Amino acid sequence: MHERLSFYVKRDSVLHRLNPLTKLTLVLGLILISFLSPWYWTPQILLLLIIIPLSFVGKVSRPFFGAFLKLILPAALFLFLMQAFFQPVGERVIFRFWFLTVTMESLLFAFRNAMRIIVMVSSFTLFLLTTHPSELMSDLTRRGLPPQFAYVIISTLQILPQMQAKAQTIIAAQRSRGLDTQSSFLKRAGSLGPLVGPLVFGSLVEVEERAIAIEARGFTSTRVKTSLYEIPDTHVDRAIRWMLAALVIITIALRIWLS
Amino acid sequence: MAIINLQNITYKYPLTDSPALQNINLQIQEGKFVALIGPNGAGKSTLCYTLAGFVPHFFKGELTGTVEVAGVESNNSSLSEWVLNVGLAFQNPFNQISGAKYTVFEELAFGLENIGIARGEMKTRVEDAMQLTGISDLADRSPYSLSGGQQQRVALTSILVMQPKVLVLDEPTSQMDPIGTREVFGVIHRMAERGMTVILAEHKVEWIAQFADRVIALKDGQILLDGTPAEVLTSPLLPENGFGISRYTSVARKAQEMGLWKKENLPISLSEAVEGFSSHLPRREGAGQNEY
Repeated sequence: MHERLSFYVKRDSVLHRLNPLTKLTLVLGLILISFLSPWYWTPQILLLLIIIPLSFVGKVSRPFFGAFLKLILPAALFLFLMQAFFQPVGERVIFRFWFLTVTMESLLFAFRNAMRIIVMVSSFTLFLLTTHPSELMSDLTRRGLPPQFAYVIISTLQILPQMQAKAQTIIAAQRSRGLDTQSSFLKRAGSLGPLVGPLVFGSLVEVEERAIAIEARGFTSTRVKTSLYEIPDTHVDRAIRWMLAALVIITIALRIWLS
Repeated sequence: MAIINLQNITYKYPLTDSPALQNINLQIQEGKFVALIGPNGAGKSTLCYTLAGFVPHFFKGELTGTVEVAGVESNNSSLSEWVLNVGLAFQNPFNQISGAKYTVFEELAFGLENIGIARGEMKTRVEDAMQLTGISDLADRSPYSLSGGQQQRVALTSILVMQPKVLVLDEPTSQMDPIGTREVFGVIHRMAERGMTVILAEHKVEWIAQFADRVIALKDGQILLDGTPAEVLTSPLLPENGFGISRYTSVARKAQEMGLWKKENLPISLSEAVEGFSSHLPRREGAGQNEY
């Protein structure tokens, strides 16, 4: 249960060995290019020729397609249908149903948006599958991200499942004293109070203790921090990052030039 | 040489009227194992926080008097430098897990990363400390998947890797079951044997009787008694002031009132109690130790 909120899958692959910042740049680059490119088919090409092959390179194709089919595709399909039916643009009507009109233009528009969302979410999924969160944070901290900020993100990821477990305990305790959590909606809403109260106040007390605990371990020390793991940042990493930056700039230029 | 020196310490938490500590004067020699006892609200935790620098650096409020550890005065130091000399561990093991790390090994290295220890030394220190506290086999586990006793040993180890001169422990076993308690006391005892100065606030007097060099009884923020375990733990002042006392002592005291305890001193441990009572019991032929 503890590891569930981290999507990271441990493998030995080129993608895993890349510097976290390089992978983050790759994700942002793909998203920017798919949104800014003047060509209609760019997101599809990015997905088929870059993101999906990379999931094989990273040896995470199985969890990647799992997330893709269970999560990303249904969400994109929903978005596609909503926009195709409720986007009142265009003249080339394909069919009418009751008050809904679907035109060629709205179909194309909806498809492009859905594909952009797919590129965005699937590239992030790939990133999370191949990058350990603490590696990402120590790399970003080394590059100047405030350690407090990194701590908040990482500890939230870890503490959420603990909060969930605690909420379950409180629910069980209150139910054993007769709190109604299973009848009508209004009654259940009313019984939220006795659940949320202990959870929130309990967490506030914990925050102080946790602050003491990390202070006791020199969290606010002004010395230069070190890291247990060496996070490699090779010239290949740097080259990839510069290349991506260049590609984004070219895409923006093309968009301005072609419009 | 006194490594800890408290002079006329009086402290009030913010928004309170009565002081949590009053006129505390205390010298503690290097390498001693000192136990703090007292009912809830006596000031044990506050004294621990004062020694560990959290009063006045973390909890605001009014502090008068001087706190000196290893020749440095806490007013002239920052909290992040102070913790290098004085390590603190407390009751709830769960809240002492940083939450920023995914394995026990990383968790133990967290403090060393913060204070800028080089990678090589970091690994050696973590491995040595794990060996010392007997948690080497937990290195790759998630800190959240451990039992309470294991988590508390991780919390202790995470302080030990910082190599403080003084270890301050605020009821580290209060949430442990008997097995966890034994594990944690085992670690504390080993630390004390290695010559670390240990200050332990604790209710479990049987354990204190076994390990401490000196016991300080606190009541309403003041020092009530200060002496060896035998002196303090058998004092009639303890039960009168609402302290929990060892069951061996309380049984012997009852017996003394009935004229059945003939020794001068009351016992603080099982073996002393057995020894004292055995002189009263008629010895049957072939009776073993467990007959007492």
